[in-house]
Amino acid sequence: MKKSHIIGIIIIALAIGMIMTSLVSTSKYATFTESFKNQGSEFHIVGKWDKVKGTVYDPQKDPNLFVFYMTDIDGVERQVSLHNTKPQDFEKSEQVVVIGKTKGSDFQASETLVKCPSKYNDNKPVQ
Amino acid sequence: MNIHYIGEHSWAGFLGNAFIVLSFTAALLAAVSYLITANSTLEENSWKKIGRIAFRVHSVSVFGIMGTLFWMLRSHYFEYQYIWQHSNMAMPMKYIFSCFWEGQEGSFLLWTFWHMVLGNILIRYSKEWEAPVMTVFSFVQIFLTSMLLGIYFGSVHIGSNPFMLMREMPENIGMPWTKLGNYLEKIPLFKDGRGLNPLLQNYWMTIHPPTLFLGFASTLVPFAYAIAGLWKKKLDSWQAQALPWTFFGIMILGTGILMGGAWAYEALTFGGFWAWDPVENASLVPWLCFVGAGHVMLVNKNRKISLFSTFFLPILTFLLVLYSTFLTRSGILGNTSVHAFTDLGMSGQLMLYMLFFVWLAVTLLVLNRRLQIFYTLLSLCFLIMGIVTSYKTASVFSFALASLVILIAGYRNFFPKEEKEEELWTREFWMFIGSLVLAIASFQIILYTSFPVLNKIIQIDLVHALIQGLHTKLQAWFNFKGLANFASGSIAPERNAIAFYNKWQALFAIIVAFLVGFGQFMKYKHTAFRDFSKKLIIPMLLAAGLTVLIGFDLPNDNQLQFVLNELLLFTSLFAVLSNVEYWRRVGKGKLSKSGSSIAHIGFGLILLGALVSNAKKEVISRNVNGDLRTLDKSLSNSNNILLTKGDTLPMGNYYLTYLGRRKNGIYIYFDVAYLKKEEGKAFEHQFTLSPFVQMNDRMGNVAEPATRHFVTRDIYTHVKFADLDPATVSSSEDYTTPVEKTAGRHDTIFTSNSMMILDSLTTRFDKKRYGLPDSILAVQANFTVLDVNKHQYRAQPVFTIRNNESKPIEETVPELGLKLNFWKVDPTNGKISLYVSEKKTNKRDFIVMEAMIFPWINVLWIGCLIMISGTVLAIRERVSIRKKGNNPTRSGS
Repeated sequence: MKKSHIIGIIIIALAIGMIMTSLVSTSKYATFTESFKNQGSEFHIVGKWDKVKGTVYDPQKDPNLFVFYMTDIDGVERQVSLHNTKPQDFEKSEQVVVIGKTKGSDFQASETLVKCPSKYNDNKPVQ
Repeated sequence: MNIHYIGEHSWAGFLGNAFIVLSFTAALLAAVSYLITANSTLEENSWKKIGRIAFRVHSVSVFGIMGTLFWMLRSHYFEYQYIWQHSNMAMPMKYIFSCFWEGQEGSFLLWTFWHMVLGNILIRYSKEWEAPVMTVFSFVQIFLTSMLLGIYFGSVHIGSNPFMLMREMPENIGMPWTKLGNYLEKIPLFKDGRGLNPLLQNYWMTIHPPTLFLGFASTLVPFAYAIAGLWKKKLDSWQAQALPWTFFGIMILGTGILMGGAWAYEALTFGGFWAWDPVENASLVPWLCFVGAGHVMLVNKNRKISLFSTFFLPILTFLLVLYSTFLTRSGILGNTSVHAFTDLGMSGQLMLYMLFFVWLAVTLLVLNRRLQIFYTLLSLCFLIMGIVTSYKTASVFSFALASLVILIAGYRNFFPKEEKEEELWTREFWMFIGSLVLAIASFQIILYTSFPVLNKIIQIDLVHALIQGLHTKLQAWFNFKGLANFASGSIAPERNAIAFYNKWQALFAIIVAFLVGFGQFMKYKHTAFRDFSKKLIIPMLLAAGLTVLIGFDLPNDNQLQFVLNELLLFTSLFAVLSNVEYWRRVGKGKLSKSGSSIAHIGFGLILLGALVSNAKKEVISRNVNGDLRTLDKSLSNSNNILLTKGDTLPMGNYYLTYLGRRKNGIYIYFDVAYLKKEEGKAFEHQFTLSPFVQMNDRMGNVAEPATRHFVTRDIYTHVKFADLDPATVSSSEDYTTPVEKTAGRHDTIFTSNSMMILDSLTTRFDKKRYGLPDSILAVQANFTVLDVNKHQYRAQPVFTIRNNESKPIEETVPELGLKLNFWKVDPTNGKISLYVSEKKTNKRDFIVMEAMIFPWINVLWIGCLIMISGTVLAIRERVSIRKKGNNPTRSGS
């Protein structure tokens, strides 16, 4: 067997390994409905914060717990408990991506990505 | 209707646009002239002269565009959209450069500028390669300047023009205010701009983008040479000229990336210098590939082998730069990155450019006329399909697939290959393997970063149906986590994607570091194994010894990661030590011949510093009071801790006290003191860190951490949350409305920051202290007040009765911000009543913070400097060896 063949085989094996492990180490963009059906699996849920219901953050009690309500793209609204500090400028968010699992009646998020219209997007000056 | 607009500086926009059109046209002319020159057999002809002049005109116009834009930024012409959006009056002048390249147009301009500079150097030094290389350069410049054109065909627009007036913006056309001649005076909005993103008001923003873009621009040089080599059918003579350029690019791009890391570490809030964010990955991936390209070119220069890789890797590097630009600029990463840019409506255009260069590269690489024609026709079909039909993603995907197949077919059938088998114990063989590993490492990163792109492809109806069908068929006996996510086209990166990247990249780093360690001692053609192993034994043993010393201390909560870390520790130490040995033995410690050893020592140190500082990173702000009823262990997070003003909490080896906040302009600083305490001694102040929040009403507040640097470790402090309500901050002297409390003897009254225990009531006390005559009837309550740290204070409020009227004498505990008014004694049960009021800040002034220790991160930074200086030495060496009168590095840097 030629050396180039051995190298080729190793590369193919590595590539397959990479693709497989990449797939295994993924989570999924989903909706609340799907997440509540599959309790305990990790999902990414894209949605909007429900401004009317406000937020709860009492750092004196627990600085690592922030609670709010979010409506996903299907219009389903759930309570989200974020196990971290309240994100900067949460009130200004246009879109929120929460990452976590459903346990019981609410969504337990460990991370959020908050998209503010002003910071990264181009604000339209005159509407 | 012709409206006369008052106060507009229309000349600036006119000038800017004239320069844009001129630079575009000149690039077009240069491309055509150089193309004709390259295809003609004459060495010197008039087309070449025209090409040169056209490129000079193009260069002058690029300067013109930039100059005009700078002038407009400096003079605050807010009627222009770019100026309004990216600058304001309050912004200090030192950030003018940051404003310049904050926007997409500005950064494309920066990129164009560097290509232009490099192009001018190549005109002088590239000799016989000038015409074909400059043809490629001019084509790239046509594309880049067209991104600035801003021509509208209905809803489709080509480019985004930085000289657009606000009233000319498509979304503003037809607005009533645009009909006002004096709108600039009437509408207050135009008095000031929106300003620079507060995140970017940082000196790194002044130097990081130009360095990074120079790095990106320099990937064009080897690309252009490779294309020229294929085009002129001179497959093996371009590498020598392109080689110093490649290493120059590796150095600059590497510096740019590391600057980004330093910025992230120092000012941003990623909690480290590298977070595997898609935007970071987008620049790392081409760099890895570029390093691979540089090394196969070295191999080829010495042994005339690995020919295909010397074409493939530089071409791939350039295409990856384009792909990365597409990823970050098209908005496709919107849901996965914290800071991906959003779409300016140019993703289609960017995509077309990228595909054009894919087509160009593949066509030239297949080396067979019939296959070339076939592939070109196929590409045209996909192009038409993409433009005419709505199957845009499908067309792009099919094109990419077809390109890959054709490339493989072309390589197998037509590309010249070496006849004889490689020797195992040679430097060239292992250098080639190293480059391959780097390319594979970059593939792993780009694969995981490209999930959003993958989702787009799977969401194509046909592909979706196909994959879903396959999935249901295979599910029965072949099912694992993640496959379903993939099949449904809604795959997302894992929550701890960082750990995933770390594992794979650690594996590649181990291999590369090991190769870096022994590669230098290998000889070209043939290595005597015995001699080779004898030289390596000392560094190997030393590295093993040090690994045992340092390694036992690495965290071992994850088995696999632990093993990888130990191996990486060993190989990176080995890489450093064996290169030191090589420098000592072979280079004889001389600077001139040791560029590569020094660069490799730096590389090893970077790996070492990254490994140790990351693996031993320690969060010292552990929260123990938090809600521990958390439902899921994996979610419980105790990294952030609440620190109330005046509190002292133990963290790591320190005690931390939050001293309070200071306001300075738009910044609010939070002073956190680090104290030390030895058994039985008082607290000793070590240092104070002042993380701050930059207030910005328009764009949101931005928090910036503060870091204390020591030789062996850094201490990082970051305010994650603070109540920034102006009422709380400004009225710190206000007291809350008094609240009535009652207490009997030994009862406790709670306030927000203390406990007050009533020890006794007495009528015999020193009344003069309160300014009372001795004869008066008065009762004194004795309180012991304990704060959260069990510090004791005394409070002695007094209650007097004069003329049958009770009157309290106010008592304060200034240290705790308490006011007490003792106003009643209930004779029936002996309980007393008092009004307690507290300073408002008692309740409110607190911060939620995170503190981390990064040990030995300085090894990483020192490694960076060493690697950069080593590369500079190596390039100088290369250039002086060639001594053909051309010196691209010196003029380029």
